[in-house]
Amino acid sequence: MNEACFKNLTKDQCYSLKTYEASGGYSVWRKILKGELTPEHIIDELKASGLRGRGGAGFPTGLKWSFMPRHSDGQKYVVCNSDEGEPGTCKDRDILRFNPHAVIEGMAIGGFVMNASVGYNYIRGEFMEPFYRFEDALKEAYEAELLGQNINKSSVNFDLYTHLGAGSYICGEETALLESIEGKKGHPRFKPPFPANVGLFGKPTTINNTESFASVPEILSRGGQWFADIGVENSGGCKLFSVSGHVKSPANFEVPMGTPFKDLLKMAGGMRDGAKLKAVIPGGSSTPVLTAEVAMTMTMDYDGIEKAGSMLGAGSVIIMDESTCMVKVLTRLAHFYYDESCGQCTPCREGTGWLYRILKRMIDGNGKQCDIDLLLGVQGKIMGNTICALGDAAATPVESFLRNFRPEFEYYIEYGKSMVKG
Amino acid sequence: MISIDAKKQIDAWIAKYPKDRKSSAVMQALKIVQAENENNLSADTIQAVADYLDMPGIAAQEVATFYENYNHKKVGKHVIRFCHNISCMLNGADDLIAHLENKLGVQTGKVTPNGFISVKKVECLGACVGAPMFQINDDYFENLTADKIDQIVDNLK
Amino acid sequence: MADIEIEIDGKMVGAKAGEMLITVTDREGVSVPRFCYHKKLSVAASCRMCLVDVEGAPKPQPACSTPVNEGMKVYTQNGKAKASQKAVMEFLLINHPLDCPICDQGGECELQDVAVEYGSDVSRFSEGKRIVPDSDIGALIQTDMTRCIHCTRCVRFGLEIAGMMEMGGTGRGEHLKIEPFLKDGIQSELSGNMIDVCPVGALTSKPFRYELRSWQMHSMPSVARHDLVGSNLFVQTYKGKVKRVVSADNDWVNETWISDRDRFSYEGLTHENRLLEPQIKVQGQWKQVSWKVALNYAIKGLNSHVLKHQKANQLGGLASSTATMEELYLLKKILTEVGCDNIDHRLNVKNLNNTIAFDSNIKLDALEKIDYALIVGANIRLEQPMINHRLRKATKKGADVDALNVMTFDFNYPLNTQNITAPNKIASTLAGVLKSIMTSNVQELPDYLANVEVDEVANNIASKLLNSNSSVIILGEHIVNNEDASTIASLITQIAHNANSKTLNLSITANTIAANLVGFVPQNSGMDVNTMLAFDMRGFILLDIYPQYDFHDLDAAVKAFTPEDTFVISLNSFKDDIVAGYSDVILPIASIYETSGTQLNINNDMQSYMAAVKAPDEVKPAWKVLKVMADLLELPGFHYADSTQVVAEISHQSYVKHIHDECINLTSKHNGVSTIWQSSPYSIDVVLRHSSALQKTKIGQINSACMNPASAETLGLSANDKYLGVPVVITSTVADDCVFINANHATHIQEQV
Ligand SMILES: Cc1cc2nc3c(=O)[nH]c(=O)nc-3n(C[C@H](O)[C@H](O)[C@H](O)COP(=O)(O)O)c2cc1C
Ligand code: SF4
Ligand code: FES
Repeated sequence: MNEACFKNLTKDQCYSLKTYEASGGYSVWRKILKGELTPEHIIDELKASGLRGRGGAGFPTGLKWSFMPRHSDGQKYVVCNSDEGEPGTCKDRDILRFNPHAVIEGMAIGGFVMNASVGYNYIRGEFMEPFYRFEDALKEAYEAELLGQNINKSSVNFDLYTHLGAGSYICGEETALLESIEGKKGHPRFKPPFPANVGLFGKPTTINNTESFASVPEILSRGGQWFADIGVENSGGCKLFSVSGHVKSPANFEVPMGTPFKDLLKMAGGMRDGAKLKAVIPGGSSTPVLTAEVAMTMTMDYDGIEKAGSMLGAGSVIIMDESTCMVKVLTRLAHFYYDESCGQCTPCREGTGWLYRILKRMIDGNGKQCDIDLLLGVQGKIMGNTICALGDAAATPVESFLRNFRPEFEYYIEYGKSMVKG
Repeated sequence: MISIDAKKQIDAWIAKYPKDRKSSAVMQALKIVQAENENNLSADTIQAVADYLDMPGIAAQEVATFYENYNHKKVGKHVIRFCHNISCMLNGADDLIAHLENKLGVQTGKVTPNGFISVKKVECLGACVGAPMFQINDDYFENLTADKIDQIVDNLK
Repeated sequence: MADIEIEIDGKMVGAKAGEMLITVTDREGVSVPRFCYHKKLSVAASCRMCLVDVEGAPKPQPACSTPVNEGMKVYTQNGKAKASQKAVMEFLLINHPLDCPICDQGGECELQDVAVEYGSDVSRFSEGKRIVPDSDIGALIQTDMTRCIHCTRCVRFGLEIAGMMEMGGTGRGEHLKIEPFLKDGIQSELSGNMIDVCPVGALTSKPFRYELRSWQMHSMPSVARHDLVGSNLFVQTYKGKVKRVVSADNDWVNETWISDRDRFSYEGLTHENRLLEPQIKVQGQWKQVSWKVALNYAIKGLNSHVLKHQKANQLGGLASSTATMEELYLLKKILTEVGCDNIDHRLNVKNLNNTIAFDSNIKLDALEKIDYALIVGANIRLEQPMINHRLRKATKKGADVDALNVMTFDFNYPLNTQNITAPNKIASTLAGVLKSIMTSNVQELPDYLANVEVDEVANNIASKLLNSNSSVIILGEHIVNNEDASTIASLITQIAHNANSKTLNLSITANTIAANLVGFVPQNSGMDVNTMLAFDMRGFILLDIYPQYDFHDLDAAVKAFTPEDTFVISLNSFKDDIVAGYSDVILPIASIYETSGTQLNINNDMQSYMAAVKAPDEVKPAWKVLKVMADLLELPGFHYADSTQVVAEISHQSYVKHIHDECINLTSKHNGVSTIWQSSPYSIDVVLRHSSALQKTKIGQINSACMNPASAETLGLSANDKYLGVPVVITSTVADDCVFINANHATHIQEQV
């Protein structure tokens, strides 16, 4: 446990440069500055490590980095996505608070690999404590001549800045995030072109999640194979899981990929008050909900969770016990997507509100049995038809909640009240 | 319209972006100006920010109305932003919000009569393992209980 | 062209790799529904209406933003495509008011059209519909924002075409609202195009509001007559009245845009000031009479005052250059036939020995490909909006633009430099440019350049010109009455010649090019307008002239027209007291869209149009009136059945040019403060002056005599005073020794103070 991003978690002043360096931090970066590492080598190591993007989509990081036109002329950028806003997700906040230098080093390495001399870390607007932590760490790094122009006369340049958000979940979507750095509304861009070709300020850009970047230094200092071996087939390494909800000790756990769900549940102290597990959302609010039976047999890795019928997403495990009203939970989630839709494309702008209103009507006791089919119909019309994945994220819970807990909805409509609360 | 001190702060943000990309600083500029104006943005302040950053007023207005952190009507000196999303909800946020409303004698979305506190229900603040939680101004308060809320609110100055 | 093949609905078609699928389907006539896509705007891909099935793609793909590649297989009609299209349509309709019966867009609404094909019958949406409050965005555009489908075409139009972001999308999600920020309303000179791009009835024409349903109207192609472009448009009429004007596509001329001036000027046609009956003045009293009486009276007067006494040399013919080419030609032909050589259209030029003999040799579409432009003396954006639009496009591709103007004007693209230059310094700066260029080219300098100083401004412009591959020098209206006008024009000709630049003459207006082509200028040794006004004349034929707007010296004109023994025949489209004061006969003539005619634009395109409506009451097209007058005068060669026969007859005479080095005289004739005068954009002709909505806009209200503090002091003026009847505005954006008047009403320009 706690092998990579959380390596120093229990140490005194774990976020300081001193602590970070004492445990081998910046050794990879210093090697780069001395000219001892090549971009090709780094990409190979990352590919070998099996690291997949920790922001939700799970795209192999090494492969992503190899897509950048590193030899093209002109400015290129690396961008870190610390906009963390998916309900259930709160791991990047802790990385920023407790290990900011790993993010800095990871981004600097990325900058070197992709020949990008400028990086931005996009931190969500509410994360003021993490923001100040990260800024302090940046200051330390600049003072220690680890960042800047012609760093330590190495002819390597890397300037790193933070950009603060201002409250919008959609800015976690990578192209909305780029728009936001450009001082605009967070309206996702349609692709192609992809950011690797036309990204921030129109320049080639690579965007990775905070945890992805923070994992890189440790992988490179201990070797890709080391990381791969921690995990399982198709899911290299260890990963942070945020376990929240009806557990005794909710927390972030950095555990090997492939850890059985029931072990993770145990780490979180098990069910609170000895209640019975009812449902699990394994990867954040936009991943399909699973029933207890299915969840208890699943392993926490990309394939394991997919086999169970959901997705690993950002590793945000939401635990619900038998007292949970699924109608209410779905309504809350529907409200979230309704509130956070950017409004740009038709199905999401109009559809999220429609979904929410049907559910709200149900909760208020005015549901009709045909509303269930209507919900399924509307979510089906959003799915796949939008510019970005928020549409799918809004549609997915509706489909999976109704698939797994349909009787509860029928009951609610019939009696105007929840099945679980008598 | 924008104080010299605020301009200095805004300039520091402008410096982070390419020279011809001043408007990248608009999000922070709006926050800085909002902080100086009783936590509020008016059409005039938005225009002033736009002018300072050489961007069309409507473009700044788009930003000011897109993001949740900007206020367009009166808010309290302290803004309590109570998460009511899934993890917090599972941990009793709704009851605690009701408790807070009772205690302050205001509904969410409103300001206490003395203008001291306003409460807002917000979506996930990314502290789910500390649920239930709220944010007051810049700070997070986690693992809330009714007693803890009373204590925190009573200590606000 | 085609370098790859793709399959659309089972049919192989050629395409260019990387072009967007929708361009291919449009070209092939395959209909793909769309709302946000517009061929002249950037791609937003946000409405999702154009989703089609692309083989191999897990999700349906938007045709507007999917680049094609070799072998791609596309299905626009299969189950997957149709399901997506229907889904999007249903979403679009849930919050749409469906108030088609009271919507001005009804019958030409893209939403309505697509809904018929893709919508489902029963709305399953039982929640309350969204209602969006409207904002008043000015006199031209009516908003009904509840109907908005958030396609953002209007927003992109502002950003990309108008060059000013006025509309925006505020709020997010369902609360996304398309609105302007400024409460003064939309101000772009091209704003009306938003009405055309809006696919639904959210933005409609305010003057047209609730007038008619689109299908009730008859649409006639026509040509705009207010500038040098002659934008193509459709005049939409109902029961013989012009109800609305919309743009017509012509990439060569106006692409798909028209200026607000061209769109809304038709309103003037029905103004109560229209002149509707022929009238004659008998013993100082005006009498409305029949055409027959009026024409006979006119011919009799002409005979008795002029022709009978062989005094054709004391007859003058003057016309406004807004007249059609046929009108100008016929009037000239009558005058020539009766032996009169006193012909002119250059009414507002103070000194006709100091004219701008200067040709344009660049076409509109080439303008957007230039890499450098020098503007000399023009507020081009307001004077020639469509030409400015082409320049703006050039700047977006990286072209640099410099201006040499008497004051700072608002441009909708960044200028390289706006050199604010006093009227009396423009010639010397240009001489510096010429000298710098010739020096760089190692050419022998003409004598007049020997003592010219080359300053930094001149050097910069010269090096820009020399380093550019395709440049243009634009001479504007503010040079017309510059004391150094002909020197400036000649210098520019020389510069263009030596720097291999094109030239563009914007010192002229409307149909001036046609007036020059038909030779509506003094013939043989005939008098020019200023000479006529100072001479003892016996008669005038005046074509649509309003002296207080058209002449640089109102008093001289009135004085010349008024004497008892000077017989004046006026052909006018609007009533005017001053005209009534000096005329003996007033003949009511057709205005824009009421007559067939020809416009010669800056491309030299001869654009002929038919009448879209019949002129009201007794009003007749001027070309017919002139033809009948010729018949009554028993002149030969006027047997025209229609105006096209007139065009056929017009031989291509060319304007005599005076481009000689001798014209260049660098001892400036200026002294003291010079006045540069320009009509404000919405008062340049008589129809515009009567178009009420345009007059209410910000541009319509422009009325100021701008000067810098030093000039104000010299003239002893302060901010609330009037100068030549125009309110004084003191601003340091004006050059020294200059008053720049931009006026919307009669201005009597006196000699310099
Ligand atoms: C609606 C939406 C919200 C997202 N939010 C986040 C986020 O908060 N943090 C994040 O890292 N990625 C988020 N993503 C995923 C990003 O678009 C992107 O895939 C990711 O940052 C790439 O980094 P990775 O390859 O390291 O995972 C979001 C995607 C969507 C569609
Ligand atoms: S007003 Fe019209 S053009 Fe503008 S976004 Fe709405 S529907 Fe589109
Ligand atoms: S036309 Fe393609 S998404 Fe709107």
